[in-house]
Amino acid sequence: MDSYSTKHVKSRTLFQETWRRLVKNKGAMIGMGFLIFLILAALLSPFIFNYETDVIGQNMSDRLMGPCATHWFGTDEYGRDLFARVIYGARYSLAIGVGSVTIGLVVGTVLGSLAGFYGGPVDSLIMRAIDIFYSIPNILTAVVIVSLLGTSTVNLMIALAFSCASSFSRIVRASVMTIRDQEYVESSYAMGLPTWKIIAKHILPNCLSPIIVQITLLIGSTIISASSLSFLGIGVPAPAPEWGALLSAGRGHIRDASYMCVIPGLAIMFTVLALNLLGDGLRDALDPKMKK
Amino acid sequence: MIKYIAKRLVMLIPVILVTSFLIYWAMSLTGGDPALMIAGDNAKPEQIEQIREELGLNDPFLVQYLNYMKGMLTGDMGKSYVTNKDVFKTFMERLPNTLMLGGAAVLIAVIVSLPLGIYTAIHQNTWKDTAGMIFALFGTSMPNFWLGLMLILIFSLYLGLLPTGGKTGPTSIILPAVTVGFGLAALITRTTRSSMLDVLRQDYMTTARAKGCSEKQVIFRHGLKNALIPIITAIGLQMSLVITGSVLAETVFSWPGIGRLVYDSITKRDTPMVTGSIIMCSILMCIINLVVDLIYAFFDPRIKAQYSKKG
Amino acid sequence: MAEQELVLKIKDLVVHYETDDADVHAVNGIDISIGKKRTLGLVGETGAGKTTTALSILNLVPNPPGVIKQGEIYLDGMNVLEMSSEELQKMRGNEVAMIFQDPMTALNPVMTVGDQIAESIELHQHISKKDAFEKAKEMLKMVGIAETRATDYPHQFSGGMKQRVVIAIALTCNPKLLIADEPTTALDVTIQAQVLELMKELISQKEMSMLLITHDLGVVAEVCEDVAVMYAGRIVEKGTADDVFNHMRHPYTEGLFESLPNLKERGEMLVPIQGLMPDPSELPPGCAFSPRCPYATEACSQQIPKLESVEGSETHFVACRAYEDPKFTLGRNRNGQ
Repeated sequence: MDSYSTKHVKSRTLFQETWRRLVKNKGAMIGMGFLIFLILAALLSPFIFNYETDVIGQNMSDRLMGPCATHWFGTDEYGRDLFARVIYGARYSLAIGVGSVTIGLVVGTVLGSLAGFYGGPVDSLIMRAIDIFYSIPNILTAVVIVSLLGTSTVNLMIALAFSCASSFSRIVRASVMTIRDQEYVESSYAMGLPTWKIIAKHILPNCLSPIIVQITLLIGSTIISASSLSFLGIGVPAPAPEWGALLSAGRGHIRDASYMCVIPGLAIMFTVLALNLLGDGLRDALDPKMKK
Repeated sequence: MIKYIAKRLVMLIPVILVTSFLIYWAMSLTGGDPALMIAGDNAKPEQIEQIREELGLNDPFLVQYLNYMKGMLTGDMGKSYVTNKDVFKTFMERLPNTLMLGGAAVLIAVIVSLPLGIYTAIHQNTWKDTAGMIFALFGTSMPNFWLGLMLILIFSLYLGLLPTGGKTGPTSIILPAVTVGFGLAALITRTTRSSMLDVLRQDYMTTARAKGCSEKQVIFRHGLKNALIPIITAIGLQMSLVITGSVLAETVFSWPGIGRLVYDSITKRDTPMVTGSIIMCSILMCIINLVVDLIYAFFDPRIKAQYSKKG
Repeated sequence: MAEQELVLKIKDLVVHYETDDADVHAVNGIDISIGKKRTLGLVGETGAGKTTTALSILNLVPNPPGVIKQGEIYLDGMNVLEMSSEELQKMRGNEVAMIFQDPMTALNPVMTVGDQIAESIELHQHISKKDAFEKAKEMLKMVGIAETRATDYPHQFSGGMKQRVVIAIALTCNPKLLIADEPTTALDVTIQAQVLELMKELISQKEMSMLLITHDLGVVAEVCEDVAVMYAGRIVEKGTADDVFNHMRHPYTEGLFESLPNLKERGEMLVPIQGLMPDPSELPPGCAFSPRCPYATEACSQQIPKLESVEGSETHFVACRAYEDPKFTLGRNRNGQ
């Protein structure tokens, strides 16, 4: 007579279950589709365009042409094809976004798990330091770091990684602190498992969901920050076609060639939108309680 | 409560010391040789040496820093290399403009997002909710300096309704404030919605209904006051976004505030100005955070009780 | 019992919770009524539909996902399910008040307890804010809390004290009917007794009727004059306390009693009911208890039994097909009598 309770139970792994729920979410699927397209474009762009001639090569006879059949997105003040530059620019935005978040993730996870697991003075020291970083608007932190290290793509990545790290360490710390006191962790202690193994085996996998969601959302906001810094002239140096730098160049032509302002911005917006859609979808899929 | 504020202010001191030290140290490594910048390219070595001596650049780094901090206590943060104006004075002159811009942005954001967040929460899973959430999603996905450019394009160049930039009249604040406020509004809408959804599920809401409260009373008297607590936290956390947004919006709209000041100083490699402004900004952030915490305590009796206990 | 003496009469109430995944049949056609100054105990396991029934009386079933499919609920002759929202607001808290299960979450954390009691008074009696607050203080005193604590917030009270505040809120407008949804479940045993005693006293003092929802038969024995036993959204047995406690008829009621530890006869074996309550989104055909019932026959799983009056009694009803066989008695009754 137990058939009532057992009939429903189909065994699915957490991954399968999450995936099943994610596929149902239209927004997340649109976001994911756009991202796959963008990643492919970024990977393939060196084969489609020649960086030296198509992307940064100047061609003064074609300058400031509006969108047309040969130049889908028009050309800029040096006659460079904006379509080629925008597609090539995806490489920069994605690389900076993924790069900074990865650095931030590694640093933040280590700091956060140390702070959360040990508590006490270790915790206060790490968290006070992070609080201080958090209290300075991250664009100013980035300004200081970029001016310290010089303007380059890698330095921009490092500068932006700081704010990612503080955000990850907060999440990891909070999760670690709640999980640390759960009975199953105490029982692993009782069984004599070494601390690092407990952290790696029991604690980190359990803060995976918020981290995955945060990765997606942070890549988006980092892309915005990176383009903001490039827009201010302290990000990716010219003539690289980073989207923020394209906007900065377009700003001077807002009266006579407004497409130069519109198109790179749309590229940023749709990329970040896709990441946000995917991130929200992941959040709902990983934590179905939230949605109800 | 006063004791608590005093305690928090005292706690600010080490934070300010550490931040200012880090910023001062980092900036001192970057600025190039200031003496060279002041003296110009044609200066003789003796002149440069004299300027170095005057500026105290030959002293050990720690002495330089201590002198800087000593100056800071009296509002002396050095002079700009470019304009030769007092850094602290220039900052304070610009500060009201940024506060005005930030204040207007927060005001716009709150006016739009609170009702929208509550509305979408009440109509959860209907098309009204979806429409509101799509708006919020676009708001968080848009780089705000680009939004600024688009607003200029539409409202200034195409429609000719509002000025493209500068601080020229009462209407000139509209576009920059919307630029900064839009992303903020999107974020607060999302927070308000989720906070409200959470509150709507609470048992005390049923208690209120069972008492005979109308739906309006339930939502505003019982729901909103509880939902506000996480919303205030979110607004507080977004204050750094307001500053970031202001730096960009001030650049786009040539608004004479701190952001514009920092940007100009960076492009002109005006190290004392950059150092001073960033240190002042971080102090400003600390004060804003403190104010947010106090507002928080005002709305949540549990926290207020905690504070008065701690004394 | 004559119709006009009834404070509450529920007729054939059906409530479903409709979600994307399932259609949960929480309440499946129940009939209960409560007379003036009487206390009815609604007994059943978690998930039997007791709270949904209670919320239906105030027309407060959360919608979505809850939908009241059919039925009539009469309060003094007025059908609650046909009231306008203004009429509902007038009725709630004034004619019918409710006490909730968990005092920890039932109070608004950002309002003082005095304000929360006074709010109820302001809503239903047109008196000034100040007078309402004074009255709130009196109410606090009545439930055994010092008046000076009216300006305190809920987090400054213990669980038992909070439940006293919830009781004060409920009783402040002298309702005709009090619904108490597991009022003592979340409290410590000693506090339970105090709160129960307080409720009993106030009920008789104010001449109210009460619907007491509980899974604790001890509480029912202590407080209730009438008892209704609920299983999977249906009433399986109802009657006076004497009927149900001493002359029980339904196998489920028997199962509930067999599951009770007996303090006097230590060492006696407990006889738990086998299995679990069926998933309310997929109820079995026929009697919902039949899969767990030791007396079940083939016939039980085919047709839903009707609630029929027990021979020789005007108050006692049972829904069990076993009584089609006149010789049938429950095992407990065979040995006990």
